[in-house]
Amino acid sequence: MTNNRRSGFANPWFVLALEVICVLVYELLQKRGANETANLSQVWSWTGLTALMSPLVWLAMLLMIASLLSWLYVLRYIPLSVAFPFSRVVDVLVPLSCWLILDEDISPRRWFGIALVIIGLLLTAKPVARLEEKL
Amino acid sequence: MRWLVVVLIPIALIAFVTGQLLLKYAMESSAIKGFRDPRVISFLGFGVLSMSVNFFLTLGLLSHLDLSFVYPFQGLSVIIISVTAAIVLREKFNLRLAIGAILITAGVVLVSMS
Repeated sequence: MTNNRRSGFANPWFVLALEVICVLVYELLQKRGANETANLSQVWSWTGLTALMSPLVWLAMLLMIASLLSWLYVLRYIPLSVAFPFSRVVDVLVPLSCWLILDEDISPRRWFGIALVIIGLLLTAKPVARLEEKL
Repeated sequence: MRWLVVVLIPIALIAFVTGQLLLKYAMESSAIKGFRDPRVISFLGFGVLSMSVNFFLTLGLLSHLDLSFVYPFQGLSVIIISVTAAIVLREKFNLRLAIGAILITAGVVLVSMS
């Protein structure tokens, strides 16, 4: 596990954060792009193909590729049982950003779910900090 | 068509978990053997294939069912992946990680249900 010592941009934890941000941004771009193009055609809009008319959707696709590549890099260095739960922080960030940027509502049940994920991440983070110390 | 949903949701979930495990194994071996190793290439290939099966099955399910019904099942992948990575890939696992994974799973399911 000496590879975990990689620093700066090559640090796997930094790349994991990057992966999460890529996923977050492409989800939001997809939503914006899909909204923009929803009225272009009654029939074709259901196939998702009209969304290709939006440059935001193309940017989303680039970010999707970037997120996949960074995820593969993360897998090379961080145990899956740690990296995967961490990558799900995006499931909290998406509703929070929709609430902040897209003015969507968050139900009480969803707030409760968000709180559970954050507590779970904090619990997961502790053994990781210890794991890093040992290196 | 109810039986089809009951069959397809677990298949999609298994494909996703299998895909992640294969990709993890491939990337870990690539650190030692490099990317030209035939085993690394085949594990990467099957990993991508498995993820693609999940991708298309999820799209298929979404075209008939609500996202709020389909997505919570994907949320279960957190705990399943953590446990299978510990068993299959012999990753270190402890009670704290297990509780963390259970809470994250419950949280993701709740977030995606509403």
